[in-house]
Amino acid sequence: MVIKAAVPDVSVRIADLTLRAPTLMGSGCYGSGEEYAPFVDLAQIGAVVLKSVTRLPRLGNETPRLVPVAAGLLNAIGLQNPGIDSYLANDVGKFADRPCPVIGSVAGFSVDDYAYVTERLAARDEIAAIELNISCPNVGHEGETFACDPHLAEQATKAARAVTKKPLIVKLSPNVTDIAAIARVVEAAGADALAVINTVRGMSIDVDRQKPRLGNQSGGLSGAAIRPIAVLAVWEVARAVRIPIVGQGGIETARDALEFVLAGASAISIGTGNFTDPRAPIHVADGLREYLAKRGYSSLCDIVGRANPGFLGVS
Amino acid sequence: MSALETSAAVCEAVVCDRRQPASDVVIIGLSAPNIARNARPGQFVMAITQGGERVATALGIYEAQGDRISLMLVVVGPRTRELALLEPGDRLALVGPLGNGFDLGALGEDVALVAGGVGLASLLLPAQQLIARGARVHLYYGARTAEALVDAELFASLGAGVSVATDDGSRGHRGYVTEMMEREWRGHSAIAACGPSPMLRATGAAARTLGVRAALSLEETFACGVGACWGCVVPLARSSAQAPKFPEAARGERREYVHARICKEGPVFWADELQW
Repeated sequence: MVIKAAVPDVSVRIADLTLRAPTLMGSGCYGSGEEYAPFVDLAQIGAVVLKSVTRLPRLGNETPRLVPVAAGLLNAIGLQNPGIDSYLANDVGKFADRPCPVIGSVAGFSVDDYAYVTERLAARDEIAAIELNISCPNVGHEGETFACDPHLAEQATKAARAVTKKPLIVKLSPNVTDIAAIARVVEAAGADALAVINTVRGMSIDVDRQKPRLGNQSGGLSGAAIRPIAVLAVWEVARAVRIPIVGQGGIETARDALEFVLAGASAISIGTGNFTDPRAPIHVADGLREYLAKRGYSSLCDIVGRANPGFLGVS
Repeated sequence: MSALETSAAVCEAVVCDRRQPASDVVIIGLSAPNIARNARPGQFVMAITQGGERVATALGIYEAQGDRISLMLVVVGPRTRELALLEPGDRLALVGPLGNGFDLGALGEDVALVAGGVGLASLLLPAQQLIARGARVHLYYGARTAEALVDAELFASLGAGVSVATDDGSRGHRGYVTEMMEREWRGHSAIAACGPSPMLRATGAAARTLGVRAALSLEETFACGVGACWGCVVPLARSSAQAPKFPEAARGERREYVHARICKEGPVFWADELQW
């Protein structure tokens, strides 16, 4: 008798949304998916998280907006986007034919912004879920304030929760003293999942010109340089909440992704890793299946939090 | 300079030859059939490097013939150092061809090409195609030193006129290539240029003085190279045909320009539409 080994199940559930792969494409790094469609079979990725949209149009920061640094990338784009009115009228309709779920990302500068933009965006059928970007480090202090103050994080989450039943993911900032405390508050405020982490604040200075290199002066650091910071953040959050965690920060390979899963992430997100190699999402998902199969696991769920003795589990 | 249907893909190219015409300039020949067949003049590829900084490296497509392309690079950091060490037989993943490229038809019948350093890489295909259709071409080519002026003879052998400038005067005009072009101006119909930003700005200013249009291929650090991340933008007049559709803000940000992506709407823009 031939026993056919089953392909391990790497699908993920976030509230009532099922993703066929645990690989999300990070907000701001993947456009709307269309930009990468010539290079990647989007049917094989979990979901695309769209670039953040705000109430009003934003031209974004002055250039330079990018500085490659050792093992990473500093960016300060500044939430360039056409604003929710134009976005709904001209862009969202095009997402209907994407072969994977599309998750809207909402940024704001007030609690009311989060409610207003979330309600309008979530009402569209093309949008499978909402990610609340309360942690953009590149728009002055207002952007990240929501992720750095437990009360504001709670208010923004409650405001978004009140206006949609779609899955709500809240993206947390690493630029805080106690990320677990923020995570608890956001869970209690009604989030269905947490994205951990956004970029780490940083700066690079041109010593010849004696000025910061970025137009915005400071920026957000991503890439391999921040992976250990992100893994620890997931580890700490996984000991504080029971909702799924989408781990992110410097993931380029399946082994990178496994660190996050073993720390307690149910899914992972790839951002800068797509810039290093657009094939990364496919390699990561294949590598996860291979790892599970080799060790006899039938599902990715079997190893979530396995390295983390304080992992509360996902309920 | 319209965005055409993409023929871009990821491919595993194989290095087939390598030459080093100057101490820090390397030209790598690669077997990359899809890119070679589909490349338009002025397009680029993203070369996927392994270590160091977490972005691929954008390089103009220098030659494209049959199944072979070549890439010209100057060693400036860890990524270009890694690329410069490639040997025949090595593999290199490439994404491309990307970007809009030059609209050669809009340049007329007597074109000034202006190259600064390895900006030359984006001007060989335009020169070949312009000459093939009967246009006159003159290359104004600047570099730091005589040694860094690579392949000027190749352009001359195609039938292009060539004038060179060096920063140190070791060959040709001593000083800026744009100065030399203005001094030697041959009544050209338009300019196509590629090089560092200061040279391109000077080219735009010269074009205004000379009363012709200049198509500039901009050099910038790209992260994605495919229009996804909005990291490589340049202020572009809202009236430009290349400007992304973008509403005016209700307050605060009412400006006459929009940020266009150099990797997607460009890298080639008309100088008189840039507001940089």
